[in-house]
Amino acid sequence: MMTMLLALALLWPLAVAGWTLWVACRTPAERQNYFSTLWLSAAWPALLLAYVGEAEWTIDAWMLGGEWSLNTLSRPWLAFTALLWSLAAFHARGYFAAEQAKAQSGDQGAQQRLLRLALLWPLTLLGNVLLIIAQDIASFYLGFALMTFAAYALVVHSGTEEAKLGGRAYLLLAVVGEGLILGGFLWAAGEVNTLTLQGVRETILEAEQGAWMATLLCLGLGVKAGVIGLHVWLPLAHPVAPAPASAVLSGAMIKAGLLGWIKVLPLGDELVSASLAQFGHFMLIAGLAAAFGAALYGVFQRHPKAILAYSSISQMGMMTTLVAMGLVAPEVWPLLWPGLVLFAAHHALAKGALFMGTSISEHLPRWPLPAVWALLALPGISLAGAIGAGLISKWGVKSPLYEMHHESLIKLLSWAAVGTAALVSVALWRQWQQRHQGGSNPAQWGAWLVAIAAALLTPLWLPLPAGSIEIPPLKEWLGIIWPLPVGILFAALGWLLTRPLKGKTLPAGDLWWLYAGIVRVALVPIRLFANYCAALKTASVLAAQKTEERFMRRLTPLLASESWLRHHASGLMMGLAVLLAALMMWEGQP
Amino acid sequence: MNAAWLPLTALATSLLVVVIIFALPEDARRLRTTINLVAAVVKIVLVMLMVRRVAAGHEDIFSFQVVGGVDFVLRSDALGVMFAGLSSLLWLCTTIYAIGYLEGSANRKRFFGFFSLCVASTIGIALADNLFTFLVFYEMLTLSTYPLVVHKGTQQALNAGRVYLRYTLSAGVVLLLGAVLLYSLTGDQSFSSEEGLGDYVNDHRGLLMLIFTLLVGGLAVKAAMVPLHGWLPRAMVAPAPVSALLHAVAVVKAGAFGILRVVYDLFGIELSVELGVITALAVAASITIIYGSLRAIAQEELKPRLAFSTVSQVSYVILGIGLFGPFGTVGALAHLLHQGLMKVTLFFCAGNYAEELGIHRIDEMDGAGKRMPLTSIAFTIGAFGMIGLPPVAGFITKWYLGIGAIQAEMYWVVAVLVASSTLNAIYFLPIVHRLWFRSGPSHGKGHWPKEQRLGRFETHSWLLVPMVFTALVSLGAGLFAGLPFSPLDWAARVANGEYLP
Repeated sequence: MMTMLLALALLWPLAVAGWTLWVACRTPAERQNYFSTLWLSAAWPALLLAYVGEAEWTIDAWMLGGEWSLNTLSRPWLAFTALLWSLAAFHARGYFAAEQAKAQSGDQGAQQRLLRLALLWPLTLLGNVLLIIAQDIASFYLGFALMTFAAYALVVHSGTEEAKLGGRAYLLLAVVGEGLILGGFLWAAGEVNTLTLQGVRETILEAEQGAWMATLLCLGLGVKAGVIGLHVWLPLAHPVAPAPASAVLSGAMIKAGLLGWIKVLPLGDELVSASLAQFGHFMLIAGLAAAFGAALYGVFQRHPKAILAYSSISQMGMMTTLVAMGLVAPEVWPLLWPGLVLFAAHHALAKGALFMGTSISEHLPRWPLPAVWALLALPGISLAGAIGAGLISKWGVKSPLYEMHHESLIKLLSWAAVGTAALVSVALWRQWQQRHQGGSNPAQWGAWLVAIAAALLTPLWLPLPAGSIEIPPLKEWLGIIWPLPVGILFAALGWLLTRPLKGKTLPAGDLWWLYAGIVRVALVPIRLFANYCAALKTASVLAAQKTEERFMRRLTPLLASESWLRHHASGLMMGLAVLLAALMMWEGQP
Repeated sequence: MNAAWLPLTALATSLLVVVIIFALPEDARRLRTTINLVAAVVKIVLVMLMVRRVAAGHEDIFSFQVVGGVDFVLRSDALGVMFAGLSSLLWLCTTIYAIGYLEGSANRKRFFGFFSLCVASTIGIALADNLFTFLVFYEMLTLSTYPLVVHKGTQQALNAGRVYLRYTLSAGVVLLLGAVLLYSLTGDQSFSSEEGLGDYVNDHRGLLMLIFTLLVGGLAVKAAMVPLHGWLPRAMVAPAPVSALLHAVAVVKAGAFGILRVVYDLFGIELSVELGVITALAVAASITIIYGSLRAIAQEELKPRLAFSTVSQVSYVILGIGLFGPFGTVGALAHLLHQGLMKVTLFFCAGNYAEELGIHRIDEMDGAGKRMPLTSIAFTIGAFGMIGLPPVAGFITKWYLGIGAIQAEMYWVVAVLVASSTLNAIYFLPIVHRLWFRSGPSHGKGHWPKEQRLGRFETHSWLLVPMVFTALVSLGAGLFAGLPFSPLDWAARVANGEYLP
């Protein structure tokens, strides 16, 4: 039964994609419904699977040997991922209603875009689900690659110049990331000839070069997770992607990198070598740098979705820090990981709700404005840790750190939360400035409302091990809530201080522009060298041809001697015969 | 029990077809088609029989003496049957494709005659058991391919043919020299002998090195290793089925297969390692891989880009040989099959684009995914396979090569693999992007260079079916690599035979 459901969870999105293609070929454009109920259901079997229980499945015939399982870690992960995907699909139905109407009225561009999206959306979901339940390297890598490349259609959907730039940044970094992951996996798996992620984890723990393997894998997976330095695609891709796509990108897909880390790093193992612990420290610093740097840069953005993208980088930075704690201080990990999963799940839903909210503020429904604005703010407030699931997840992370006496880290994380509060308040402010009335669709705001509720109530529905999460005691509340007002205050102060700049802002994508400049400069000598090589090749071919010609010129005169031979053939033959006869006579003499 | 008739019949089937086709008049189109297809199917059945017998542990030998000390020997062993299986399967696909492709064009008798001769030589190469037999068929392949390369008869085609002959014939001379030296040293040396040339290493080290260099140097021309690859991109003027034949079924593969035979069966892997030639081979292969990829990026036409991609990909096989160890060998052998499947798919696609829409340049491919969805899906599968992304077959080989490199402690090879994957992505992803993400003539922007409506579906169904089949097989070979008798499984079987006595 469980196996059936596991198979269904994987095959259903595939079937949905196939069905979409079939229907698209069969029905005329005027009656085309890209977002049918069947399409919405792509993630439902996976969602169901997450709540039915734990399961394991092995197929030897699958690639290098398939091993899939649903354990205490992958179950909650699958639950929040599948939930977010289902909600985002509903949201998409509303969000794209206008574009679908356009497609039905005969706009070819809209038809192409929508078909592409409707086709690749379930495939992206399939990749995401597969990588969560995969326990063998090949399946994980397949899921990761499928998700990465199929999601390209989600990023470039609108087809504008900005979308193309975002797509290019996304794809370039994805290719770099895939290469790094492949290198890391090959290295770790080749060392002991393993095919499972568990084996990779053990190799990294035991091998001499474990820290370097971990570095490769962490950087490769870190492209998705938005590690500082490799994060540049996020602020470029998010503002241009449609809101439901941004929701799953920022909510579910960047978490895939995080999950990859948890699966391959030997977190919480007491035997962690010194070099691995060292690597953990680097990761910790990178995480904190992302948490603060993204907040500082993000508040100066104009586009609300760019601000939210920076908020995602900042939040992922915090999660990076927590993962690094599993290497730096292995003893906290057993207590810390449920909190981290809750943190990730809550961030997924809250960020999903915030991104969906950007489409709501662009098409405000006819509700009382304060109510809409309160709803728009709710997930943000929760993300800053002041209410609901945010409060509990902050505590879920803090209390193990308290117990193991990592007070300085707690302080840093609290200040990072100040950054989150500032970011969400600026995002809200930008949304307010760029709001539009009307045009909202029930599916659009319905999914948004459910996402808000799910975000606020995350601990209630997330299938974590029993007793691993508790509500913070009342006396701790102040210690968790304070970043919110401080953050808002900072945002307001910053606004006041930057007013003289008259709305000049920093470009989204920060380091991207630096990288692009460096590559442009680096390409110049390479191009010169290539031109030089081409010239050299042409010259040597010419020289060779000339030599051949000269040689042939020397050779051709010999033809003349051939005709001389022909002319004197009889005489020569006679001479030869006489010579032979003389030779024989000389031989015959005693 | 020795079923000597089996390898002989497998070879005779295609040779017989050659005779019949040349005897038939030019306009007996239907009869020729039937004979071609029946022979192809019969050959697949025969090869399947051989596969079963080899799997059960029988090796059938057919031999007779040509002159004293030189025998003509055909033997079906695991490695040979693997190559024979690949070429006979792809022969069927390519024949079907060629029938559709050449419909209504001139000189079809000549084309199909030499086409069958080509495949007959390939089977001969696969089943040859000593260097003499191998050489006979190897040269036969060279000569029978020339009329195919120049089939169009244009000045460009004739030039390409001349370049092809220059390269391959001089390589043949070098190869012959190596073979003669070897015969003078050892006499007749079967590929199946257990000891290899190990006995001679103490006294004739330098000579053995020379022979190895001559043999591999001669074979490397057909395997298109840098700097001996110049003929391959030029031969792109040939019709698409010929390109498929050159790149996937016969010619390039024959070179790589020859190197496999020389290293594993003639010299023996231990001796090759002892002579130190193995590492040199790996380095040469790595240079070829990177150079081919770099050159491919610079190409603006589809077929030359695919040609440089072949230059790069075939050297994966050589690289796998260069990684001394079972994983490298499995990777090399599996790639021989996988690359064939994927590359033949890509060339079928390129041919379809050229036939149906007149597309030759990459920048003409915008939005072709809408007009020709099946072709474009097949192209996407092939391209992803070449990059080495799962679940296509290319991933499996890349994985085994990488593991082999780590186990041989040649870490730089992993860097080469990753770099090559990235470069492959750089030259294939833009094409895929153009196919699906740009709008072109099928969205009402401009016109296709030369559009024809060849069939009821997106193109002629004889062109469509083989392409879809090979695309599905390359996907299946990756997705279900763990099944018995999958390319990976058979490669592992061969490698076991090489490494476990």
